[in-house]
Amino acid sequence: MYEMDGEEIFVIDGHVHLWDARTENITHEGGEQFIQCFYDYHTGFTPEEKQWDMEEYRHYGADRMATDLFGNAAADMAIFQPTYLTEFYDEGFNTTEQNAELAEEYPERFVLNGSFDPRDGEEGLRYLEHLKEEYDIPGVKLYTAAWRDDSKGWRLDSDDAFEFLEKCADLGIENINAHKGPTIRPLNRDAFDVKDVDDAASSFPELNFIVNHVGLPRLDDFCWIAAQEPNVYGGLAVASAMSTNRKRKFGEIMGELLYWLGEDRILFGSDYALWNPDWLVDQVMNAELTDEQRDEYGVELDVDTMKKVMGENAARLYDIDIEEKKRQFRDDAVTERFDLADHYGGDAGAAAD
Amino acid sequence: MSGSRTDPGGDAGSADTGDTADAAELTDGPRVVAVRDRLDRVEDPELARSIVELDYVDAIDIDGGRVLVQFTLPTAWCSPAFAWMMAVDARDEVESLAWVDTARIELCDHMHDEEITTGVNARDTFGETFPDADGGVAEVRAAIADKARVSRQREAISTLLDAGVDPAQIVALDRDDVTLDGEAAHVELDGLSVVVDRDPIETYVNRAAASGHVTDAGDTLFLTPEGDQIAPDRLDRVQKRARLADVNMSGQGAVCDALHRARHGSDDESG
Repeated sequence: MYEMDGEEIFVIDGHVHLWDARTENITHEGGEQFIQCFYDYHTGFTPEEKQWDMEEYRHYGADRMATDLFGNAAADMAIFQPTYLTEFYDEGFNTTEQNAELAEEYPERFVLNGSFDPRDGEEGLRYLEHLKEEYDIPGVKLYTAAWRDDSKGWRLDSDDAFEFLEKCADLGIENINAHKGPTIRPLNRDAFDVKDVDDAASSFPELNFIVNHVGLPRLDDFCWIAAQEPNVYGGLAVASAMSTNRKRKFGEIMGELLYWLGEDRILFGSDYALWNPDWLVDQVMNAELTDEQRDEYGVELDVDTMKKVMGENAARLYDIDIEEKKRQFRDDAVTERFDLADHYGGDAGAAAD
Repeated sequence: MSGSRTDPGGDAGSADTGDTADAAELTDGPRVVAVRDRLDRVEDPELARSIVELDYVDAIDIDGGRVLVQFTLPTAWCSPAFAWMMAVDARDEVESLAWVDTARIELCDHMHDEEITTGVNARDTFGETFPDADGGVAEVRAAIADKARVSRQREAISTLLDAGVDPAQIVALDRDDVTLDGEAAHVELDGLSVVVDRDPIETYVNRAAASGHVTDAGDTLFLTPEGDQIAPDRLDRVQKRARLADVNMSGQGAVCDALHRARHGSDDESG
């Protein structure tokens, strides 16, 4: 939790990964380019003294991840967003099964999403059912730019995708997280098209569509769609990292998001391990709009807004009772491991020394 | 990484030969300067800024009438359609110089560097190079031209609002209500003429025409992003959408800049 103006802010990191980009897991040159590109994002927006070297970046493991997220209580909970990329990585890059290793160790601390790929057809539908049954997934992370055989991507508004969204609705998988950001294809448009979210969101009003990276570099298309579709949300991964060394741009983007979507539909995410919440949360919490931006947008990053963005909005989507969690975290396994009982106001008898 | 360097021997003794764009600021001969000036007109379509300004150009090699340009984008994953557009534009700009016979353009360190380098230099079309693309470059160019129109419109409308013109009058203007004269733009409003700065009005009118809008004298001067007439009470909304498009573009510029620095090291960027 984070304290701001004397109030506690419960932090749910809405976007984390447990990936494996070790060279022995890479089966296609795209896999190496992918992790190199991630690494450029990492170093491009991470303070120099916080940067990792390439080897630890390729594979950090569940143990380190728990420490990075919870060791200094930067995050209280985190939401796994799988990225399979099985065309590039032998065992997958960041699958539900890989994420489950940590999610099942600390189930009270993690939300575990699944994934689907409509090009998998009937087999894919069965897999989605399996994920629901095995892990009770409350959402999916979708990567429309993933390669599969000759196909270089797919669209959320296709008939095949609709069949899977229908299945999600049937199974009660309500949170559809769409990656919209750096991609490879499709070639015909700029590769960051968000327009397919529009039709999907209006066709499935019972589902929530969280657009990761707020559509950058198509923030304008994203905001325009979100302004018209009440079940479209913005995930701040990447944008939040701009608070590192592009503070003014971060302020502008927040101003636009608050103007077009309002404070109830923006979700913080670190994109771990692209960026590490152990410093990023603090940095985002300290971000301020300039006077000029306050005048222009008529909004503030005040404590009420930050409470929503950093945790309450995600809690609403994933049915998390924050007050109940605070009580639970006085003496759960993470609190015991990292000696956080005082932080969560645990009473004298708890694990705190 | 793709292709080999042109042998500079044929033009030995010229200061132009074999220099990189970065290192040779002081020793560039006039022909390297001329090439760079042409390349300065090529824009990254995502950012609407020059590829020279953005420091994408790695090398300019000149061998008689043959020019080699090598360039690298901020990530290997930049849109192939955008990479293609920049390569073609660079080729055409360089070849517009009278003394240039052929320009060879090499895209480096990109997901599709070989296909794009081969296709552009063989003068193939985008569709021939990427048969599985389900659309062409033309529609991407059109969409980008339209974004530029909306962005410039915002500045033109702000200029008129600042001059005291009211929204109802602004949305009613036609193309031929505006005349450019010296440093000024004259705007006719029911018999009254308002004089404002020429620059924002002229820039808008040019960008609008380039996007295929507001080309005839009787055309409505200002339009929604979709190209429709603006209702007076929606003018503020249209301005906010244009602001949003500007924030998107400059925000993405910041991302590309950070990636470019991460990829090439920050030390050699500032100079």
